[in-house]
Amino acid sequence: MTHEELEASVPLYAAGALDRAERQALEAHLLSGCSACHAALKDYQSVAALLPLSLSPVKPPPSLKSKIMAERGTAPLPVETPPKVEPASRQSLEPGEWMDHLFPPVAPAKSSTLPWALSLGTVLVVVVGGYLAWDISTQRSTDTSNIQQLETSLQEKSTALAAVQREASEQAKVLEELRNELQKRTNEAAETKEHLTQREAELEETRAQLAQRNGGRTVATPQDELATLLRSPNVKAVSLAGSDMAKQGVGFLLFDSRTQNAWLYSVNLPECPAGTTYQLWAVYDKPMSVGTFRMNAGETSHLLVKKVPGFTDAKTFAVSLEPSGGRPQPTGPMYLLSRS
Amino acid sequence: MDRPAQHAASTIDPSLLARVAKGDHQAFSQLYDHSSTLLFTLAVRILGNHEEAAELLQDVYLEVWRKVSRYDVGRGTPAAWLVTLTKSRAIDRLRARAARGQQATNSLEAGTAAQVTDAGPSPFEAQADQELRVAVGAAVAGLPQAQQQAIELAYYEGLSHTEIAARLNQPLGTVKTRIKLGMSKLRDGLQQWRNAGDLQ
Repeated sequence: MTHEELEASVPLYAAGALDRAERQALEAHLLSGCSACHAALKDYQSVAALLPLSLSPVKPPPSLKSKIMAERGTAPLPVETPPKVEPASRQSLEPGEWMDHLFPPVAPAKSSTLPWALSLGTVLVVVVGGYLAWDISTQRSTDTSNIQQLETSLQEKSTALAAVQREASEQAKVLEELRNELQKRTNEAAETKEHLTQREAELEETRAQLAQRNGGRTVATPQDELATLLRSPNVKAVSLAGSDMAKQGVGFLLFDSRTQNAWLYSVNLPECPAGTTYQLWAVYDKPMSVGTFRMNAGETSHLLVKKVPGFTDAKTFAVSLEPSGGRPQPTGPMYLLSRS
Repeated sequence: MDRPAQHAASTIDPSLLARVAKGDHQAFSQLYDHSSTLLFTLAVRILGNHEEAAELLQDVYLEVWRKVSRYDVGRGTPAAWLVTLTKSRAIDRLRARAARGQQATNSLEAGTAAQVTDAGPSPFEAQADQELRVAVGAAVAGLPQAQQQAIELAYYEGLSHTEIAARLNQPLGTVKTRIKLGMSKLRDGLQQWRNAGDLQ
């Protein structure tokens, strides 16, 4: 879609009249930072929010207030927990609301955008945090100016990831459950964020060293590569849920059919016992090994990147625990399974 | 005794939400007084049913209580946030109902809903709301019928333009144009009203 077409769809978006695909296209465009469309959306959304004033007012029953006050009295103080809504009616990624929660304010304030990114994309922060943690090996140092730079960059990646995640949750609804689960653990995420901030600095250092080692050769950083992946229309996303072996475990698999790269983010898998390794399987008619990876002590997440042809034909994906080096066919217990 | 102006839904101060976020019960009670009539009106219009609207409001206010810290003034006024949240949850319910195969009572009861309402302003209807209500009402009434209908089908019934085109048996392009023109007229009309207010 051209910019003109996207801009023309803003009033339709505010009225709630776009089809899902158009809505996603506009949201992706807005997230890319188009200030003209953002301003137009704010304009039209404020008009849309006034529409109920044109209705004849209907007073709620007098008993409703005391009911709400009482029920809320038994609820905990305001915290970031998802409300108890029956799953069938819980379609929180609806037009308007989605932007409400994920769109950054016009004048971004660091103090508000960070909790925003955290509370709403806890998954993303954990995932990206894991990704960064994986990427960093041993160098440790702190560089506060780099932290800020990376923080901004991280937020951009988080929002881009959010778009992909949305696609995935609509396909499988699994990420919705995951998000609720992870929102409950905001505290953990806050800790992760602290680690993340440290590791951002370390990553910057690593990148500087890498650049030196490569003697000026242009190297795409993992972040660039990830950003490219997320922009690509060829990307397919599959989510994996933890089995009984790893109830907290989740996985998120991205596959770029053009470059034939597969990315598996695994979160909250148990540590591998000595002499074992996790192995990712793509199941066609029978399982094919994609690659192996280990979760070491203290790791909460892991990123596996592999080049594999013909992935799009795979029916399901699974992660099992195998003896070191992996096996040609799965022999150990399954830890993660995609829902097809 | 509060002055009526303090009960205007359209002029809820963001600081009130900040107090709610800190667990201030009195602030929450005030927020309810300010906004419940507007939100209930919206819920009844979408769900076409008073009991379900009351249930919905209960969910919405509990969600507000829990999530109020997510409100960000940079993304709109408190009233806009509450309206957007209520509308979104109400449309969720409408779709869940449709998915369960229940008959939508919306169109059946919507007509009567307007008739049983009080003709006069509610006790919580403040001056600021009344003026805005008149302005919005005039802007909506000023739209050609077809534009008004298309916007209402999208806004209150959660239909996409494709669904609206099918429902009205009109070409898709026509429906899109009606919504675009209608929204842009509403925007311009309200902008003019605001400018006139600024000049006074």
